[in-house]
Amino acid sequence: MSETDAQDETLVETLQLERIEMNLFRGTSPDNSPGRIFGGQVIAQSLLAAYETVEARVAHSLHCYFIRPGDPTVPIVFEVDRSRDGGSFTTRRVVAVQHGKQIFNLAASFKDPEEGFSHQAVMPEGPHWSELRDQMEVMRELMKNAPEEAKRWMSRSPPIEMRSKDARTYFLDGAKEPVAQNWFRCRTPIGDDAHMHQVILAYASDMNLLSTAMRPYGVHWQTPGLQSASLDHAMWFHKPTDFNQWHLYVHDSPSASDGRGFIRGQIFAEDGTLVASVAQEGLLRMKPPK
Amino acid sequence: MDTKTLVEALKLERLEVNLFRGTTPEEESRERIYGGQVIAQSLLAAYQTVEERICHSLHCYFIRPGDPNIPIIFEVDRSRDGGSFTTRRVVAIQHGQQIFNLAASFQVAEDGYEHQSDMPAAPKPEEVESDIELQRRMLKDAPPASRAWLDRPQPIEMRTVGGRFDVGNPEPREPNQQVWFRAKDAIEGHDHMHQVILAYASDMSLLGTAVRPHGVSWRTPGFQSASLDHAMWFHQPTDFNEWHLYHQESPSASGGRGFNLGYIYRASDGALVASCAQEGLMRMRKARPAK
Repeated sequence: MSETDAQDETLVETLQLERIEMNLFRGTSPDNSPGRIFGGQVIAQSLLAAYETVEARVAHSLHCYFIRPGDPTVPIVFEVDRSRDGGSFTTRRVVAVQHGKQIFNLAASFKDPEEGFSHQAVMPEGPHWSELRDQMEVMRELMKNAPEEAKRWMSRSPPIEMRSKDARTYFLDGAKEPVAQNWFRCRTPIGDDAHMHQVILAYASDMNLLSTAMRPYGVHWQTPGLQSASLDHAMWFHKPTDFNQWHLYVHDSPSASDGRGFIRGQIFAEDGTLVASVAQEGLLRMKPPK
Repeated sequence: MDTKTLVEALKLERLEVNLFRGTTPEEESRERIYGGQVIAQSLLAAYQTVEERICHSLHCYFIRPGDPNIPIIFEVDRSRDGGSFTTRRVVAIQHGQQIFNLAASFQVAEDGYEHQSDMPAAPKPEEVESDIELQRRMLKDAPPASRAWLDRPQPIEMRTVGGRFDVGNPEPREPNQQVWFRAKDAIEGHDHMHQVILAYASDMSLLGTAVRPHGVSWRTPGFQSASLDHAMWFHQPTDFNEWHLYHQESPSASGGRGFNLGYIYRASDGALVASCAQEGLMRMRKARPAK
């Protein structure tokens, strides 16, 4: 299967919301979702719901909590609270609901672009995306003896293309440093809408992040007994960017304790511009043996 | 205001199961409410609705300036009471409008994987002049009213390594700084009060990190700065009567905003007890004709 396989729909289409009322929206999950909704999807759809209630301003930050696992077989309802429409800032809160219960919340802030003081962290050294192989391709190779179902899942071409210098060692046991670098971009066209690039960057920012906190323990999301899930997610958008182009996502985990791992991320455009920062805490626990 | 007065002043009155009222300590500024106070009171409001679990993270937005002259209403939404996690959202209201929101998560303490980044090198707190002492030295010829203001008791003791950048001439410096801090007197009451006071103090000095490379300070005419959001992750419990190193760095400033990360280490054993992230407004107001 080639990397350029046609997709049934673009990610922009997958994330689309239906407006039910002024502050009320409904979204769905793709048909091929695994047992639970991917966290990045709910982040992206909630940010989109907030954007539907904001005129002409740009999101500069968002903070969310994953409260309950999302069910991909039913729609998600997004309720927007218009916290403030101020002179320079707009604030919104969104709650995502399924089966009458909150599964997720997001708060976000929007403002008009302006010029001003500027500095940024330097992009770290590392291999260029052109020197690396597609993560799915590497996984397919590593898991050629996997069960049919897993192989079927891996045969798809996901909308986010990922190239990691660690892809080859991902399923190898043994302690590693809690740092990682991934190149990524959206494979399907995002279009001219600047805020959709932000929405899809938010979608992708939940990928591979938590696994960085697992690296010192030689475990990964397929290790039997390991329970892992994103608990929260925060993101700051420093600069607009074109996410159909390659970006470097640098992670490090300053802490794990008490069943939780903490990871921070920085997203650089290929020219070294720091376009976004990310922070996430995730559940990281071995189920006690029965 | 000493630490004991602060702990008392942060306390909330319960109006209904999920509704609380707080006030601003009398000794505080009457212009706008200090952000850390609203963070601390909102966390306390959430704690009032949580049984036996410990806060491991919070995320907030500052939405409007708080008015210190009237009470603040805190409305708690019980988002979830789950098997191992409890989630809460709090909105702080004044004059019928949201001034602040917080979301927080609470967890039953458990054991598991452990790692942490090492505490960076720093001069010992005993070797660093306190911010107040430095300000007293700088302002020794100031009018008595200003000096009296510096002599009032402080709930949090702060010692900035290399001296507070915004005192005197703010020449451009690297976008990182280190501050030693602790609650000045014993924090009494519930165990979680140490966490609440740490959250209170974590809004101090962080915003200034992003400002350092740009040769301005809050005293520069036309310079505008304010906390926009605040996030905090509590990695382990701590005694905030001990010295803690608040190591701060700013990876970015752009578009009128500065972004800061802070790591809080306990001096006695180097444990990373909390991490913080904050974005702040930092802009020069449009130039006005000189006086």
